[in-house]
Amino acid sequence: MINEKYDLKKEIEIVREDCLRPTRRWGRSTQIWIGCLLIMIGWGIYCYIHQLRQGLGVTAMRNYVSWGLYISTFVFFIGISHSGTLVSAILRITKQEWRRPITRSAELLTFVSLLFGGIMPIIDLGRPDRLVNLVIFGRVQSPLMWDIISICTYFVGSSVFLFLPMIPDIALCRDRLTVCETRFDKFRKWLYTKMAIGWKGTKTQWHLLEKSMTIMTIIIIPVAVSVHTVVSYIFAMTLRPGWDSTVFGPYFVAGALYSGSAGVILGMAAFRKLYHLEKYITKRHFDLMGRIVLALTLIYAYLNLNEYWIPAYKMATSEGHLLEDLFYGSYSKLFWTLQFGTVLLPILILSIPKGRTVLMISITCIIIVIGAWVKRYVIVVPTLLHPFMPIQEVPKDWSTYFPNWVEFSITGACLAGIFLVITLFSKLFPMMAIWEVEEGLLIEHDRQLAIDIRLKREASERVINIEKLNGEKVSTEVEPIKPTVITS
Amino acid sequence: MNDDLNKSRRNFIKKASLAAGITLAAGAIGIEKFLSAKSVPKKKTLVLTPDGKVYQANCGELKEFNPPPVSNLEARKGIPNKKFVMVIDEAKCDGCKACTEACQSMHFIESDREWIKVFKMQDSESTSPYFFPKPCFHCDNPPCTKVCPVNATFKRQDGIVLIDNERCIGCRSCMVACPYSTRFFNWSHPKADQIAETGNMQYSPELSLPRRMGTVEKCDFCPDMIRKGLLPACVSGCAMDAIYFGDQNEDAVTNASGVTVKFSQLLEDNAGYRHLEDLGTEPRVYYLPPKNRKYPKPDMNASGKELNQTEMKMGDMRMSE
Amino acid sequence: MKSIIINRYFLKKLGFTIAVSSILFNISTAQITEKRTTTIQLSFYKKANISKTIVGTVKAKNEEGKFLPAINAKVNFYLVNNNAQTFLKAAYTNKAGKANIILPENLPLDTGHCFTIAAKIENDKVFEDAVEELRYKEANLELKLAPYDTSRIAKAVLKTIGKNGEVIPVQDVEIKFYVKRLFGFMPAAEDYTLATDENGEASFTYPKDIMGDTAGILTVVARIDDNELFGNMEYQAVTAWGTVLLKEKEPFPRALWEPYAPLPLIITIAVLFGGVWFTYLIIFYSLYKIKKEKSDEQIEFEAIIKQ
Repeated sequence: MINEKYDLKKEIEIVREDCLRPTRRWGRSTQIWIGCLLIMIGWGIYCYIHQLRQGLGVTAMRNYVSWGLYISTFVFFIGISHSGTLVSAILRITKQEWRRPITRSAELLTFVSLLFGGIMPIIDLGRPDRLVNLVIFGRVQSPLMWDIISICTYFVGSSVFLFLPMIPDIALCRDRLTVCETRFDKFRKWLYTKMAIGWKGTKTQWHLLEKSMTIMTIIIIPVAVSVHTVVSYIFAMTLRPGWDSTVFGPYFVAGALYSGSAGVILGMAAFRKLYHLEKYITKRHFDLMGRIVLALTLIYAYLNLNEYWIPAYKMATSEGHLLEDLFYGSYSKLFWTLQFGTVLLPILILSIPKGRTVLMISITCIIIVIGAWVKRYVIVVPTLLHPFMPIQEVPKDWSTYFPNWVEFSITGACLAGIFLVITLFSKLFPMMAIWEVEEGLLIEHDRQLAIDIRLKREASERVINIEKLNGEKVSTEVEPIKPTVITS
Repeated sequence: MNDDLNKSRRNFIKKASLAAGITLAAGAIGIEKFLSAKSVPKKKTLVLTPDGKVYQANCGELKEFNPPPVSNLEARKGIPNKKFVMVIDEAKCDGCKACTEACQSMHFIESDREWIKVFKMQDSESTSPYFFPKPCFHCDNPPCTKVCPVNATFKRQDGIVLIDNERCIGCRSCMVACPYSTRFFNWSHPKADQIAETGNMQYSPELSLPRRMGTVEKCDFCPDMIRKGLLPACVSGCAMDAIYFGDQNEDAVTNASGVTVKFSQLLEDNAGYRHLEDLGTEPRVYYLPPKNRKYPKPDMNASGKELNQTEMKMGDMRMSE
Repeated sequence: MKSIIINRYFLKKLGFTIAVSSILFNISTAQITEKRTTTIQLSFYKKANISKTIVGTVKAKNEEGKFLPAINAKVNFYLVNNNAQTFLKAAYTNKAGKANIILPENLPLDTGHCFTIAAKIENDKVFEDAVEELRYKEANLELKLAPYDTSRIAKAVLKTIGKNGEVIPVQDVEIKFYVKRLFGFMPAAEDYTLATDENGEASFTYPKDIMGDTAGILTVVARIDDNELFGNMEYQAVTAWGTVLLKEKEPFPRALWEPYAPLPLIITIAVLFGGVWFTYLIIFYSLYKIKKEKSDEQIEFEAIIKQ
């Protein structure tokens, strides 16, 4: 017997309302936020035009440190983009039910950080006007070309991976948007109609969608791994001390997953707070994600050990100079802060149950994300400052590097761009996969039904047994269990 | 043999015989054959041979020859059947930087960068310091051309590694890939005086001029000079005769005084080596160790005073190898 | 002999430096109004018995008393015959202080079968007047190679004109034997100098291990350096005595550092990413099918229409 008080339809309606609510209202704070982001982007564009006209000489990069903040940020953004794959694809493949409310934000983070990660090397180009040469004269021997191929493939893949589960939700948005008075509403209606690609929710459509989802889930994982592997190859394929390492591929992948999953947690925390999704993104989600981040941090720490301890034991000449600088030289403060503060500390915090509260996890993840960014910088810059040939009699600004205002402005604009796209997206589309959450409800409902039925059968069997024993009639009423929305 | 030409001679040659030059190898042989045949020329003209000598030759015997700069395609192929090689004798180098100066003025290089740079090296604390002029090594297993995504830097059949700055997208992969810090990036527009001097030149990868903002440049072994049969600027500019240059296929290298020696013999007699051999880049530049030095060794404690805005980083003085 | 540099370095160094330095120099000397002490050195180069060149090296004293190459000095060359001077040509010194002229082919000889050339600096604004003369005897150096010779013997023959105008061999003149290389003459062996015998001949055996071109061809050279009587003489001959250079079978192989990639790399990348993109196409086709899918009502409606 099903609990009469529990109304599945009503529950589903509540989910839909909760998810669609943020798309209906563009509050004052949203407008200010978007305005601030636009100012940052505008300033970044101005700086970029300045850089285009005057050359990369307006940055702090010089001949020794010829890759700086831009390339570090590129590696960082590409790293963050691994979040979507991990949380979404891996949790989908392992049929983790709790993934349902968080997949959308993870996939979005992938999409956006890839978009801006891909822009970073173009900003770093001396001659962006000759970008077409990559198509005309492209050489597949170049790790940079592998990057381009692999990032394009991942970008298309992650866009599809984001879009596929959005189709039923967009169709829902389309159907719910009945009153189109303002021009903006008309635009939205048009956008939803176009993007829903004629979704009607027929059996065939559901079948096709689920099949496509399964294929994408499988294919996106190797693609994601390939992306960060070849990103590491632009460094590892050189002979430079610190980069000339066979562990660099997995090291970068692990670093990407570690920073990316921390990024997902930050996204979860933000949407949970801003769009009042506490009911769906629960403490349990944070706890589970915290465990995942802990596992990934441990893997990352392990690879860190390999990356530094093996050459440090040998102290080969050129590698030794670099390591000396990292361990007790000019980069030592930064290096040890990163090792202790952003690797060891998160492990300690996340491994104790009390550390896995929403607040603590969020703080840890902020540390991890910033630490990952700075770590990219520490991977890129010190190696460039330790060439095989000694640095002698060069202009003073060649032998040091710290990003200047142009680089910070442009990188800041890219970060603002990421926030802007996420904000606009969340104001147009539901930030939770509604149908997936609904599916979760249905599954839970069915499970409860099954439990009910089993309990009832067991009870009736018991009654029969008792009747057989006693020859008495026993009440068959079973105390019903109220299904929760999602297990929490 | 290494006399320069005076002004009037240059003008005369320009007018009379630029079009009547001869192709490098075949042409030279043609001339020699003609001379040894001792036929009496009827209509004579002056010709310039690849080694820079003037002959009077019969007009009929000469082939047409395109004056440099050569086409982009030709510049990418290089000179067939040649393998250019450089030998630098550390025992003869006194660190005077005449090579650098000759190179700088030849290629109109801005003062902050040096295509051939004279390092003061000391391999370890107890070993003797020495001067180490370092051009581009034009490696046979070049890490730089491997990573170029657009084939803007390339390895020619004569061994020279060049850059096409009309194709370079400025990604600087080659700069980080080069273990010898040989490559330089044009971070800003060339200076006004540079534009005035080189702006009207017709670009060729062999000329490396005019330079362009946002592209990479480096030592090019002066391929335009080689095509004329002349030594690269640093070689002819070395007053100490410390730098030899030649064709490995001919097994001969020549220094500024015109002394031509057998390449293999030179390496054998002086225990020639290549810098950082264990990197496996197979440089085309060989070094002779600083044995029996005639000049004082470099003072490793003196800081560079030559450039105003410079600073020596003493922490990096010790070198691998 | 002289070499010619027509290059950027030269253009810049000569073109600009001469222009600039001469201007500066004129200004500074105008103030001093004292001409610099100048010297001339002359050398004579005869090549293949055809081309005869005179090179004048001009040096001038600077303020510190050092003799440095005089740049852009006008040198007048005269042919001297029995105290009669015939003007030949004028030349300006380059940055190395050298001025060259090519002598006319049929140079009139004096009774001793010699010619005398005078080089003069006259009425120069900067440099003091200076004169230098050289006198050399007419001679012929020839390098004779036997055709299809496997013994690699090159015979240099030096002849001059005797008192009565007859051709006579010259004895005891050192002749050096070289192999011509791209940038200079390489001594053919460790001991590469031979003196001519009473027939004016010197026979030199070239070693076997000299690299030739792809056909084994090389140029052998006989040279006389700074002879008191004859100056510098040179004769070149072409022969196939060199080791044959094996041509590179594939100058541009498929390699990581070359424009064309090794096939395994291309295949690997094509298969890996081709596979992924093929999967994407399947997904795009599914999306297309989703778009084209008719709703249940539509199907019903169409069924009714058909009936």
